[in-house]
Amino acid sequence: MPTSMLKWVRWGLALVLVLALLTAASATDVQRATAQAVPTDGIVCTTNANNTFTLTTSTGYIGMSDDNTVFMWGYALSGQPFQHPSPVLCVNQGATVTVILQNTLAEDVSIIFPGQENVLANGAPAVPQFDGGGNLTSLTNVAPANGGTVTYSFVANRPGTFIYQSGTDSERQVRMGLFGALLVRPTRDDPTNNVRYAYADGDNAYKASTEFMIMMSEVDPMLNQAVERGQSFDMTLYQPRYWLVNGRGYPDTIAPNYAPWLPSQPYGALARINPYDPNPELPNNGGPNPAYNPLPAMVRYLNVGSIDFPFHPHGNNGRVVGRDGFPLLDAAGGDTSFEKFSVNVGPGQTWDVTFFWQDNEDYDPDTNPVPITIPNLQNMVFGMFFSGSPYLGNQGTKPVGDTGMTQCGEYYIIAHNHALFQLDSWGVPMTGPATFTRVDPPVPNACPQ
Amino acid sequence: MRKTFSRRDLIKIAGGTVAAAAGASLLPRYLGKGWLSPLATNSAGAQEIAPDLYFAATDGWIGLPPSPALPPYHPDDLAPAPFTTYIFGFRNVTGLTVDQVRYQKMRAQHSAPLFWADEGATLRLQLTNLGLQMRPDLVDAHTLHWHGFRHVIPFFDGEPMGSVSVPIDRNFTYVFRPRDPGTYMYHCHVEDIEHVHMGMTGMVFVRPAQNGQGFYQSGRYAYNDGDGSTGYDREFSMLLTEVWSEAHWDDSHIQLPEWTDYRVDFGLINGRAYPDTLAPSGSVDPFNPVRDANGDLIPTPGYEHLQYQPISSLVTCNEGERVLLRFANLGFTEGAMTTAGLKMRIVGRDATLMRGITDVDTSYLTNTISLGAGESADAIFTAPAYRGGSNGQPYDTYLLYNRATTHGSNAGTAGYGGQMTEIRVYPTGTLPVQTVPNT
Repeated sequence: MPTSMLKWVRWGLALVLVLALLTAASATDVQRATAQAVPTDGIVCTTNANNTFTLTTSTGYIGMSDDNTVFMWGYALSGQPFQHPSPVLCVNQGATVTVILQNTLAEDVSIIFPGQENVLANGAPAVPQFDGGGNLTSLTNVAPANGGTVTYSFVANRPGTFIYQSGTDSERQVRMGLFGALLVRPTRDDPTNNVRYAYADGDNAYKASTEFMIMMSEVDPMLNQAVERGQSFDMTLYQPRYWLVNGRGYPDTIAPNYAPWLPSQPYGALARINPYDPNPELPNNGGPNPAYNPLPAMVRYLNVGSIDFPFHPHGNNGRVVGRDGFPLLDAAGGDTSFEKFSVNVGPGQTWDVTFFWQDNEDYDPDTNPVPITIPNLQNMVFGMFFSGSPYLGNQGTKPVGDTGMTQCGEYYIIAHNHALFQLDSWGVPMTGPATFTRVDPPVPNACPQ
Repeated sequence: MRKTFSRRDLIKIAGGTVAAAAGASLLPRYLGKGWLSPLATNSAGAQEIAPDLYFAATDGWIGLPPSPALPPYHPDDLAPAPFTTYIFGFRNVTGLTVDQVRYQKMRAQHSAPLFWADEGATLRLQLTNLGLQMRPDLVDAHTLHWHGFRHVIPFFDGEPMGSVSVPIDRNFTYVFRPRDPGTYMYHCHVEDIEHVHMGMTGMVFVRPAQNGQGFYQSGRYAYNDGDGSTGYDREFSMLLTEVWSEAHWDDSHIQLPEWTDYRVDFGLINGRAYPDTLAPSGSVDPFNPVRDANGDLIPTPGYEHLQYQPISSLVTCNEGERVLLRFANLGFTEGAMTTAGLKMRIVGRDATLMRGITDVDTSYLTNTISLGAGESADAIFTAPAYRGGSNGQPYDTYLLYNRATTHGSNAGTAGYGGQMTEIRVYPTGTLPVQTVPNT
C-alpha cells in the first residue's frame, strides 16, 4: 500500500471515530490531562483555576500531508508531551494570568503577549533586553538557556483572541513553533444558555458549542532540519513549503481533536453546525421548534506566519466582529462590523468572525425539488463528501465503489486559503490549509451525535 | 493517466479525477444523440427549461507580450502564432449549435466571460466540459464555483469534494437566485491550484433591486444604498490574475510544477498584460454574444493575438461621470490597485455595502485598494473636469496600476507592463451612454 494511502485509511478512521466518539459538543474547558473527554471538534481550551500555566519548552515532530515529518519546538504544559501548536490558553476577562516559562533549550527563550498591557516578568515590568553594547537581544525578558525560568504575569483586561509567541530570535523561534493562542472571554458570557460573546460590548453573541479556531502558519522544512541538526540557516533562503491550519494540513485538518494518529497535533479544524433557524416556535401553534438555532457560530482566526493569508470559507460571508482583541465599534458605539467572503488576516493579526449557514432555497425532494433534471449517475463525478443528494438530510444513491463519507445527508462546505499555491504540501497539491464546515440537517436528524 | 498511480493521484481523488477517469474514459464517448445538447431531457422526456447561459470548459492559447522571453517557458514553443501561452478556460457557447460548441474545444478565453444576474432573479447556467485538446491524458472534470455566493447548497457550489463535477462530454446546470448585490468572481474548483492558475477565472455581478430608481441620474447602482451613494454611469470589471510561465509551459508539455516555488511572471487585468489592456473589447455581453460562423471569437483587426482575451481594461468616461471599478483578485498574491491623480471611494467589499448593520457609513476615500487573493472591492470615482487632453489626444489620461510593482512589469524586466491600464476622461457629452461593461 502506498504510504499516502495510509493517510486516507487514517482519514477514514477519523470518520469512524467521529461516529464512535461524537458527544454533544459543548463549551470545552478541559485540562490536557483529561483529553479523552474532549469533543471531536471546536476549540479545546486549556484552563486553570488560578489562571496559572506552566509552559515548558519541548521538541517533537509533526506529520505533514505529504507524509513527511518535521522537527518542531513548542511550549508544552508542564508534565505533558510536546504538542503543536502550543496550548490554547483560556481565561476570563479581568483574570490575573501567570505564565511560568521553563526553558529546556540550549538558547534563551521568552514569551511575548501582543495585545496585553503592563506585562510583568518576575514581578517587574517586562522590557526589551539589550546586551552591554546596546544591541537588542530579546523583545522581552527571557528564560535563560538550559534550564532557566521566567514568570510572566498580566491582568487580562480586554476580551478577545490573542497570540502568544517567542520574543527571542522570533524570526527563527516562532517559525520553529513557539506560538499559541490566548482567549480572553468577557464576563458577559452566559454559558449555561450556550451563549457566548466575543467582546464585552457590541453585537457579537455566538453559540458557545460552535466555537472554532483557524490558526494559520507556515513551515520551511529546511529551517527546521537545520535547527534539528544544530546547523546554521540562511534566513534569506527562507521559503515555506507547508501551510497549516491549527498545526495540521488537510486532510488531517478534519480529523478529530486529539486524533490518536496525530499524537502531537491535537487541534482539529472541522466546524460542525446546524442551519440557522430564528423561529422558536413551529408554525400554526405547532409548539417549540426543535430546529431553533438563532445564534451564529464563531471562528477565531490567527495568523502566526509571515505574510497575509486570505482564508475563503465557501457558502457564507462571515461577519467580522472584532480584530486583534478590539470589537468593531466606532467612537459612538456604532457597529462597524462587516461581512467578508475572503478573510485576509495579516501576520500577527487575529480576526473574530461569526457565521451561519441558512437554507435559503429550502429545496426538498417532494415539495421543492431543485429546478434541474439531475444527470444520471454516470454523467457526474461525485465528491467523497457529497451525500449523493442535493437535499440536506438525504442520503442519495452514489456510484458503485464510491467512498461515501457522509452519514446523514449532511453538507460539507469547504473553507480554504485562496493563495492557492499554498494549498500544497511540498509537491502534493490540494492539501494544506483547507478544512470543511459540516452542516448537519435541522434537528431532529439522523446524524450520530 | 498522466503517470503511474501515485500518492499524488490518491490525493487527487479529492478532486474527482480518478472518478472522472472511470466515468469518462471507460464509457462510450458519445452516449446517443443527446450528447452535448444544450437542452437535456429529463427522465420523462420533457424538455428542460433552457439555460440563460451555456458555458464550455476547455483549453486554449492566449497572447502575452512575447518579449522578454523566459526560455524555455515563455513564449511556449508549442504555441501557434500569434499566441504565447497555454491556458485552461471557459467560453460562452450560449445559442451555438452542437457542432459549433464542439468547435470551441481548444478555444478557451481568459479571463472567462463576464456575466451578471439581477437580485432575486433565477439564473440558470449550464456547463459542459469539452476536454483538453493538448492534454488528452488529463481527463479532469470541471465545475463553476461562484465565489462568495452566500448560503449556496453544495450541489450548486462547484466544490468537487462536497458536490458533483462535470466530466468530459457531459452537461450540468447550476441554478442561482442571488440575494446579495455586489461584485463576485467565479472559477473552476477542480484541482483548483492548477485550474485557477491556468485561467478558469472570471467575474460576475449581482445587480441590485434598487436599479431603475431615481436616487442617481443613471438609475444604476452597485448596491441597495437607499440614497444613491453607489450610483454610477459606467462600470468596468478589473479581474486580477497572474501567470507563472513555468506552470503554463508545464501543462502544455505534460509536466508538473512545484507549486510552492510559485512566482508571478505576468500580472494580468482581465486576462491581458499592459499595454494590451488598452486594446478594445471584443464581444463582452454574455446575453448577446457576437461570434463568427463557427461560433468562434472574432479578433479586433490589429489585435489578432488577443482573439481569446476579449475583455478590455481601458476605462473611458466623460468628465463629471461616476465610474464604478469592480475589482476582484483571483491571482495568488496580494495586489494594490492605485489610481494616480484620482481619488476613489470604496463603497463595497466582498459583495457587501460598506455600511454597518446599524447604518454606520464605513466607505472611505483612497487612491490605493489592496486586494488579497479571493477578495473583491467596489470603487467609485468621479471623473474630474476635462483639462484639454494630453499627448495630442482628445482625452486626459490617468493611470490605474498595481502598486505591487512586481506585477507592473512583464516578466520582471524594465519598462511598464502587467497590471496597468489607463483611465481616459473626455469632455462632457463625448461618449454615449454605456450599455455593456468594459466598453
